[in-house]
Amino acid sequence: MAVINLRNRQIECKLVFYGPGRSGKTTNLEYIHRAFKKQVTGKMISIDTEGDRTLFFDFLPLGLGKIKGCDVKVQLYTVPGQVKYKATRQLVLKGVDGIIFVADSLAVRREKNMHSLKDLHENLLKMGLSIRKIPLVLQYNKRDLEKKGLPTMSIQKMEHELNRQLKVPAFSACALSGDGVANTLTQALKLTLQSLQNEFKWAQ
Amino acid sequence: MDLGEKIKKYFKEAELYRSHGLLVDALEKYKSVEGLVKSTRTIRNQQGILKQIALKIELTSKKIQKSDGPKTTPEVAEDAQSLMKEMFSFDDPEAKGSSALGGAIALAKFGQYDKAIEELNRLLEYDSLRLDAAKNILWCWIQQNYTDYAVSLYQKWRKTKLFPPEEADSIQSYFNELMDKAGVDHEIDELESQRTVEPDSEIDDDEILDISSVRFVLPRGPKEGEKIELEISFQSGKYIRMIISRREKDLIDSINPGDLLKEIMFYSPVAIFSGEGYVSSKNEIDAGPKKGDYSLEIKIIKIVS
Ligand SMILES: Nc1nc2c(ncn2[C@@H]2O[C@H](COP(=O)(O)OP(=O)(O)O)[C@@H](O)[C@H]2O)c(=O)[nH]1
Ligand SMILES: [Mg+2]
Repeated sequence: MAVINLRNRQIECKLVFYGPGRSGKTTNLEYIHRAFKKQVTGKMISIDTEGDRTLFFDFLPLGLGKIKGCDVKVQLYTVPGQVKYKATRQLVLKGVDGIIFVADSLAVRREKNMHSLKDLHENLLKMGLSIRKIPLVLQYNKRDLEKKGLPTMSIQKMEHELNRQLKVPAFSACALSGDGVANTLTQALKLTLQSLQNEFKWAQ
Repeated sequence: MDLGEKIKKYFKEAELYRSHGLLVDALEKYKSVEGLVKSTRTIRNQQGILKQIALKIELTSKKIQKSDGPKTTPEVAEDAQSLMKEMFSFDDPEAKGSSALGGAIALAKFGQYDKAIEELNRLLEYDSLRLDAAKNILWCWIQQNYTDYAVSLYQKWRKTKLFPPEEADSIQSYFNELMDKAGVDHEIDELESQRTVEPDSEIDDDEILDISSVRFVLPRGPKEGEKIELEISFQSGKYIRMIISRREKDLIDSINPGDLLKEIMFYSPVAIFSGEGYVSSKNEIDAGPKKGDYSLEIKIIKIVS
């Protein structure tokens, strides 16, 4: 849940990168950490005690400065994607304001994308939230692999399978090089702040 | 596509999946490559290539097994624990000043049991937090499958009348529920018999070597966190006894019956091993040359390595 202090004109909101294991959530955060040095207000904490798998979550705090007269702070989190960490995903989702769903463009990950989206839907329901109402954007990651001759899904196919009903903004990306990462994040922030505006009328 | 090209393409895919940590997909692809290579006679150095692929398959399978295996939640660094505490605090906005409790519960939910129990133990001192702290301590032990220990802890609380009657009922029904869920059948209602249930030991008496000394970290009291080494004065199977001199007052106060020692090093003349133990008794010796010293007994409940 966003913390909104109208008297001091401060907003703090929480965005969560969701998606199947290995789709590139941590890589997104790492890129943001490198590319938005000025906005990064604290250190990135990656809790991955076992090699390179995210077991708990990654965390990166951002300060966006003044937006419409309000000082806006954002906390970015990633969830562990593997099926068995469902409980941790539910914990990390607690109090979420907006979601970036990172889908893997590799053809072999087709079903994992769909399962993860369903898992998101279920976890939100448990918290009394609806996937159709919460600010949400999709990211089709690892697009660079298409050109390298690896079996990937076309954007149309991914749109059809993941976004046909949701109809939320979707972005192609290569998180490794950072292509599309800023676009995804900006749109997610926009939707989130807009939804908080509808609820709390914070903007001047 | 010509077979050679197909093999190369599949191999490249397998390697990429492996580098992305997509092990199951990688394994499947390596197996397809293996099948293709086997199916042809025209390939040069067929045996050499098959050997290489077999190795890849073996390594990938091993990695999958490792990541699938049952695992306890690892402990994370201190900064990560503080983040869990602060950002995920399970505070009830109604209850004022309980953020210490909310933070400790968050740690517990993330499986940081030792740290959570440490903080919850401190909160037992406060009247307003005691009940919730105690419930969460029990929850932490049960989550780690230390059912017996949870029972003995609960019994200790009852014996020492830690809770006023209203709270005692509340914690009893909570604990019963926990035990039911864990599928454990324990006679905790028969507590008045005053017999403390000791945690079951996983080991047979004859499995244990003769132990000459032990080393462990003191769990509480004035010397909390300090490592000590004690000589064994008597051993009967999994029960070991040591003497603490009456002059070591701080040491005596730092260890008590009911404490669970999660990491003990055992030194025997032929080997060193580690494990867990339960402090089963501590008594002042009231006769003989050691009169006034303390006799401490530990029951070894688990050997880890
Ligand atoms: N080629 C390519 N690889 C990527 C891209 N994004 C992530 N990866 C790789 O995919 C693997 C998994 O990424 P990671 O961020 O750990 O995934 P997470 O489990 O969602 O956090 C890593 O080896 C990354 O280097 C991308 O856009 N292109
Ligand atoms: Mg990750």
